[in-house]
Amino acid sequence: MAARNPGMKLDLEWISKVRVNTQAVLKRAQQIQGQKTPKKQWQAAWLLKAVTCIDLTTLAGDDTPSNVHRLCLKAIQPVRYDLLRKMDMHDKGITTAAVCVYPSRVADAVKSLKAANSSLPVASVATGFPAGQTPLETRLQEVRMAVADGATEIDIVINRTLALTGQWEAMYDEIRQFREACGDAHMKTILAIGELGTFTNVYKASMVAMMAGSDFIKTSTGKEAVNATYPVAIVMVRAIRDYLLCTGHKVGFKPAGGIRTAQESLVWLTLIKEELGNDWLCPHLFRLGASSLLADIERQIYHHVTGQYAAYHELPMA
Amino acid sequence: MAGSTNKTVYDIFQSMENGPAATSSTATAQAWLDHHSHSLGLFIDGKFVRPADRQTRSLADSKGGNVCNTVCAVQDDVSQCASSAVSGYKAWSGLSCYNRAKVLLRLVSVLGQHSKCVSELCELCEASCSPSSLVRLLQYYSSWAQLRDTLITSWTPLGVVAVVVSDDCSLYSLMLKVVPALAMGNSVIVVPGRSTAPPALLLAQLFVSAGLPAGALNVLTGSDMSLGAKVAQNPSISYVTYSGNKQDGVMLCKAAAGMGVPISVSPCIGATCPIIIFESADIDSAVDGVLETAFKKKKEVNWVLCVQENVLERVVARLKLRMAGMTCVGLASDADRVQVDAAVQEAQQQGATLVQSCAAPPSGALYPPTVLCGAAPSSSFVVSPAPGPLLPLMTFRSNTEAVTLGNHSPHGLAASIWTEDLTLALETAKSLSVGSVWVNSHSVSDPCMPVSGHKDSGTCTDGGQEGLYQFLHSSCSSSPPLPRSSPVSMDYTKFGTAASPAIIPDDSDAASAPKSYLQFVGGKACKSESGCTVAVQPPGGGSVLAYCPDGGRKDVRNAVEAAIKVQPSWMKKSPSARAQSLYSLAKGLEAKRRDIAVSINVQTGLSMDEAEKEVDLSSARLNDWAAYCDKVQGGTLPVPQSGSALSLPEALGVVGLVLPDKNALLSMVTLLGAAVATGNAVIMVPSEKNPLPVLAFVQVLQSSDLPAGLVNVISGSRDQLTVALANHSVIKAIWYWGSAEGCQYLQHTCTSPLKTLRLFCQEERDGGKDWTQSHPSLLEEMWRNAVQWKSVWIPTA
Repeated sequence: MAARNPGMKLDLEWISKVRVNTQAVLKRAQQIQGQKTPKKQWQAAWLLKAVTCIDLTTLAGDDTPSNVHRLCLKAIQPVRYDLLRKMDMHDKGITTAAVCVYPSRVADAVKSLKAANSSLPVASVATGFPAGQTPLETRLQEVRMAVADGATEIDIVINRTLALTGQWEAMYDEIRQFREACGDAHMKTILAIGELGTFTNVYKASMVAMMAGSDFIKTSTGKEAVNATYPVAIVMVRAIRDYLLCTGHKVGFKPAGGIRTAQESLVWLTLIKEELGNDWLCPHLFRLGASSLLADIERQIYHHVTGQYAAYHELPMA
Repeated sequence: MAGSTNKTVYDIFQSMENGPAATSSTATAQAWLDHHSHSLGLFIDGKFVRPADRQTRSLADSKGGNVCNTVCAVQDDVSQCASSAVSGYKAWSGLSCYNRAKVLLRLVSVLGQHSKCVSELCELCEASCSPSSLVRLLQYYSSWAQLRDTLITSWTPLGVVAVVVSDDCSLYSLMLKVVPALAMGNSVIVVPGRSTAPPALLLAQLFVSAGLPAGALNVLTGSDMSLGAKVAQNPSISYVTYSGNKQDGVMLCKAAAGMGVPISVSPCIGATCPIIIFESADIDSAVDGVLETAFKKKKEVNWVLCVQENVLERVVARLKLRMAGMTCVGLASDADRVQVDAAVQEAQQQGATLVQSCAAPPSGALYPPTVLCGAAPSSSFVVSPAPGPLLPLMTFRSNTEAVTLGNHSPHGLAASIWTEDLTLALETAKSLSVGSVWVNSHSVSDPCMPVSGHKDSGTCTDGGQEGLYQFLHSSCSSSPPLPRSSPVSMDYTKFGTAASPAIIPDDSDAASAPKSYLQFVGGKACKSESGCTVAVQPPGGGSVLAYCPDGGRKDVRNAVEAAIKVQPSWMKKSPSARAQSLYSLAKGLEAKRRDIAVSINVQTGLSMDEAEKEVDLSSARLNDWAAYCDKVQGGTLPVPQSGSALSLPEALGVVGLVLPDKNALLSMVTLLGAAVATGNAVIMVPSEKNPLPVLAFVQVLQSSDLPAGLVNVISGSRDQLTVALANHSVIKAIWYWGSAEGCQYLQHTCTSPLKTLRLFCQEERDGGKDWTQSHPSLLEEMWRNAVQWKSVWIPTA
């Protein structure tokens, strides 16, 4: 795996020059959505790729050890073994990329995975998820505790107040501190794009997050009114490309929220392939934050293998 | 991708390649072709006809398989078709506006039922055209069909219109001519190109099933452009309009010169168009735009990428990243590949560096998308672009230089500009001399946008309300301006070279020596460059009334130099400032009422009373034009996409006027006013027979506040001056009253660059136009001839 993004000094001049033409981005998004998605074995392969990029997530108030346990075991065997076997993919290590839970459930997840002899990473949201409206000290502490419980990936949320009021320096400093608190755990920075107002702000926030050393930038918490949309993603991946051109560091991208169908996951892969290239089509640089998506993908794979449409109960639940 | 279907899921999982392109079914279109045994007839009088013993032309699909054969029509078919079109015109123009609109709307639903067949056939013939764009076209023009008599009063259809297109023209461009022509009540004979022939025939059939009267739309297929000329030759045809590549258009113009039929040309294929990326652009979006449009398999325009110097690196870096995954683009033939290789090699020899998606395969009719960095306007691959996915990239320093670079081309079809700076966008859009400007976008078209190709890119306006007028004439203007005839065989190099007759008056009485007039060039009254004069004789001849300068090429050259110096600033002046200048010109004419009336009296023998009446009418006419200055305006257009679309009327530039003999003064001010009010500069050639009133008007011009050089008067031999006007590339339009031979000369000669011609043969009937009439539609016809339209498209979210 390539070196992590070390971040860089905050370059406010760069941030101030950002220009995004909204309609052109919308048009590009339409164009990507209009492209033909792969069929037949190409579709199956792409869907399996999508599976390996999923952060299988449960972020609910009623999460308990038992449903977290189910989630973990589904993450290890995301697609029915016999189906994988028919495609000769049973021994290719097809698991989801990670499981993603609230900080208090990290220990449960780590325990379940360990029991199942899996090294699958556990990701935890942190820093006052989803609103980020808690004091900095408690947000930092939250990160440290999740890491201590065994989370190796931390999804932090940015302070939207700072972003909306243009206090990029303060935001940069906060994220820097989060990164420090993460230690070796990878940091995914959630921009909560639904609350940033404009594409230009999304671009700027992406840039600041990367300069502050994020390993991934992530669209949304799944709790805002607007979640992962293709146009916003285009703006964010352009920022990633821009950052790569200037620093040589590859930062990952994670859309999350509202991604439910296999078809959508194919469009996401197409978008990444078109905008960033094949390098990004791996769990190190691309994640899909989702919970119900996996079930639909598994049904599509079932259809590919058997030619039949599966009932939901035919496939193991998460 | 041989054997790609054997790829295992794991292979693909690792490579994450795209699957093979899905081959869409063409079964419905094939069924239609099967029904016609893959051999399509001509579409005449509402049905397919298959005359015996005709040659056929075969159409192959992209893989070389035969799609179908079409008939090559001969003279008999043209005649049969023309007479059907005449009766079709009677039936169609006899319907009410409402009923015509209804037919167009019914076609929309018929298209809906058969959209699969239409789109598949288009795909099969590689004449791609989405049924939805045809639907939009029909809906837009059906509303004009409905409201023709309400909103376009006092205009009548022309009759039978021929729409001719080249082999490479798209179906949409073809229909952009056909639908408005039909909407206005004309009948149409379509002469499609190779690839548009089958879909055009299918559409004609669908039109008839939608209720179009038989004969209102006929389709004649042929083997090449010569069929277009054969159709133009038919005396029932009132107007020929052409769309496609420039060369075929020129061929058609030359072949049809002297047939007495007006021809307009929209060379929408093959123009060079700039994409301008300013430093203030959203560069990522601009690069997306470039990649989307520049490397199409079917290359309709030759894009040139112009990038502001200080963002060059950013643009090139993004091009490199984004192009990395692109696959090779298919070329038409192996011969094209040879040309592409040669062009790239030459570019590299001139120091150009390549940005390529992948290395070019050693051979075969395909090539990777390639940007040629370090191009210059003088690079041969910019001047004469090669086929294939090549995109020259050059740099500019400042905003003004971007406009200069964009305008420095014989073409004027379209430009795409990228900036987030609104002021810069609008300023650039106004300064670019092109028909369409796309701000932060590209290739947007909608039937409601009027577009006239500027410079060498066209002689008529297509689209919008403005695009209707090529298919209409003022109900008040007399019957067709040109008499139908066969082209005479003439030596074009000899035209206008005859020496002017030397007339030396018999009586050498110094006291009554004829007056010598001066011409008017660059704001100065002067002699001709040659210093020679010609004698002006009274009606009936005999004596000599006066001497006027014998102007020639050099005088025209001087006048054009003076005119282009002032025309842009005249165009930029506010309409009300132009109006004030014209009002004062009218006033100046009133002040010299007596002098000018005398010149009319002397020249024509008209009584002083009547002469003064003509002068009064002339000042009234100038006042009319002054008042029109701020009435000729564009506006915002109701495009279906979100954003703002502007249409702007622009002056043609420098217009040459070869003035009529009749009502020498009144006709002159009428034409001068139309041209100058709309922002043009003019070079006027007074009637050879009756030049004195116009030459007397020079004193009015001299004391006017029109900028020096805006209006020029050059007297002398009409033919000689016509040749001089025709051979000056700066002159964009010529309005000509003269001989049939002169008309033929102009049609034949004014093709490179294209000039907009308004030709009137004044030999036929005594007089022709009645200049004393000032019906609004007559004046409208004139000012519409004096402007070209630009549409500016500014999309917003």
